[in-house]
Amino acid sequence: MSDFLLTQVINYGAPLLGIILFVGGLGVPLPCTVLVIAAGAFARQGILPWYSTAMVGIISVVIGDALSYSLGYFASGYVLKRFSGTPRWIEAENTFQKWGPLSIFFSRFLVTAIALPVNLLSGTTRYPFQKFFFYDILGEIVWVFGYGGLGYLFGSQWEMVNEFLSNFGGAVLGAVFLFIGIRQTLKWQAKRNSQKTLNTES
Amino acid sequence: MPKQNQKRLRVLFIALSFLGALLILFFGLRTFRAFKRFEGHQPPPISGELATNAEDIEDWMTIPFISRSYGVPPEILFDALAIPANENHKKSLKQLNDEYYPKADGYVISVVKATVQAHQPPPIPDLPNGPNPPETTP
Repeated sequence: MSDFLLTQVINYGAPLLGIILFVGGLGVPLPCTVLVIAAGAFARQGILPWYSTAMVGIISVVIGDALSYSLGYFASGYVLKRFSGTPRWIEAENTFQKWGPLSIFFSRFLVTAIALPVNLLSGTTRYPFQKFFFYDILGEIVWVFGYGGLGYLFGSQWEMVNEFLSNFGGAVLGAVFLFIGIRQTLKWQAKRNSQKTLNTES
Repeated sequence: MPKQNQKRLRVLFIALSFLGALLILFFGLRTFRAFKRFEGHQPPPISGELATNAEDIEDWMTIPFISRSYGVPPEILFDALAIPANENHKKSLKQLNDEYYPKADGYVISVVKATVQAHQPPPIPDLPNGPNPPETTP
């Protein structure tokens, strides 16, 4: 898939890259990070104009993200009817209000595997769109200019950059899972201990 | 919340922790390896230099792309492959191979690499620092 898309990007340039990033923003699993890094290298070779490519990339992916946010927002009817008001839902909402900015920002470039769930969750929990939009644009700017910039800097060696960054992203995803798992297990344990203490006291 | 569900959630979170640890280990090692490979490479100078290592040519590249990257005219590459340039500008090396040499796997990429290599300027040998040549007088 990556090879086919790379060939098409060198043939059709920024407009095609924009379409791919838009579709990726909607949640279709495409190798968007590879393409952004490669686009940086292509810009260095003069095959793509770096400024307009970066602009097209950012605008396209932000529109894709906004659409997947709205999908979560408008499809939340069932979820809200089923869970709204329950303690677990309130907890989820509070957690997202607290961690939302960080998760939106970092899932744009560092842990892209969770970008779609974050977009959907932002919409479903009615996270304010203006805030979502702000952190989304910020993250996508880092993604396009940071990753694309590394591609530009390393030119024909961009595949090494991609290998490093994609593996690093996987390790960060593992760290996120580990953090959530340990945090929730400890919370559960503390709750259980306090219940036990209450029972023995009574 | 029913006790059964609580138990399930606990198992889920423990499993999530283990998965996280496994991912860290797996991708951490790969990141380290990638970093080690990356470490020996300096970014090339920004000024519009041409690529020189023909071994970096890959199947997804097109002839005009290679031509531009390595400074070899596309006609030379199409001639070396004995295929017409028309309608083949947008095809990758793999597509060209599948279309024109389906029975010779990897033929197109090897010919392109050899042609590009043949068109590279010879490497400049590192000369030891000797005495400066005498100045010429007009």
